[in-house]
Amino acid sequence: MDQRALFFMIAAAVAALLTTVIDEALRYVPELVAVTYAVLAAASYLDWRTNKR
Amino acid sequence: MEDAALWFVIAIALAFDFTNGMHDAANSIATIVATRVLSPRLAVVWAAVFNFVAFLIFKTHVASTIAKGVVEQDVLSIGVIFAGLIGAIAWNMLTWYLGLPSSSSHALVGGMVGAAVAKSGFGSVVSSGLSKIGVFIVLAPLIGLALGFIVMVIVLQFSQKAKNVNRLNRGFRKMQLVSAGAYSLGHGGNDAQKTMGIILALLIATGHAGADSDVPLWVVLSAHTAIALGTLSGGWRIVHTMGSKITRLQPAGGVSAESAAAATLFFVSANGIPVSTTHTITGCIVGVGSIQRLSAVRWGVAGRVVWAWILTIPGAALMSALLFLLLKPF
Repeated sequence: MDQRALFFMIAAAVAALLTTVIDEALRYVPELVAVTYAVLAAASYLDWRTNKR
Repeated sequence: MEDAALWFVIAIALAFDFTNGMHDAANSIATIVATRVLSPRLAVVWAAVFNFVAFLIFKTHVASTIAKGVVEQDVLSIGVIFAGLIGAIAWNMLTWYLGLPSSSSHALVGGMVGAAVAKSGFGSVVSSGLSKIGVFIVLAPLIGLALGFIVMVIVLQFSQKAKNVNRLNRGFRKMQLVSAGAYSLGHGGNDAQKTMGIILALLIATGHAGADSDVPLWVVLSAHTAIALGTLSGGWRIVHTMGSKITRLQPAGGVSAESAAAATLFFVSANGIPVSTTHTITGCIVGVGSIQRLSAVRWGVAGRVVWAWILTIPGAALMSALLFLLLKPF
């Protein structure tokens, strides 16, 4: 398993959790961070799989 | 007598700002020193100048959060702020001595909370403000890490098309002067405002300013002067940890890390969120370092940084609370 993708997935999960405790006015920040990390995790995994072949 | 106490605590607040500069502002120059773009001495002057002129760019939203959004205003007194400041300074000095890149900002928040709780219990804490700061303890390095990674990917894509590597490297070294300046602006804009917030809280608590007052210009200028002087005095132990122990940086990495950190600090300052500049630049350096593989990051050192983050608010709060209780009889 790609360690970096895993790290990014955990970061996405942490950011998603933070959306539940932040004021509504700033909720878009952890939401955006979570989506960004999810995209980075997917990209990192694809990069790892490509390099592995 | 109260005026003398007020000026005494203002002087301590500015001294805290000085230690903040000494402790945190060293991060402004960590990458520029690590990549040998400037000598440590010149890099410190560069950072200090941009720390100072930051007041021309940023409004005082962060100062308002510190003055009005951490502890209930009716609890604030000269004694509470004094104990909070001394607890934060003591924590800063302890972590500086140990070479831990902990957060002066969270030490300050922890100090204020500890002294206020010692005076009036947990009801004296503004929970919404504290939770916002708490969320950004985690979010600031995460934002920095993601931005550092993304900017580095873009920079690498750009670099691959270049034919002359030496010329490209020289270009990045020059760009690092700009990115380090931008980061120092962001740092000055966020960190100096914490002291402004403390002084504003003091002025409000003693009736020298109204509850809705803005930060007076003399407070703005004195806070920026203090942090710039602190930066000038340096903090080489932490520069060393930040710049070379977490991951090895090349000029392109330095540009990416500082640009990402500057963008993060500009965003949070505009939203009135006090964050740790140490957290932010560490996240950016880790993001840049992890572009190749996660093992490029020295997680042992990064782990020490995380421990310093976790311990700072409770540690500073405990010190301030004890100090407040010790001084209470007087």
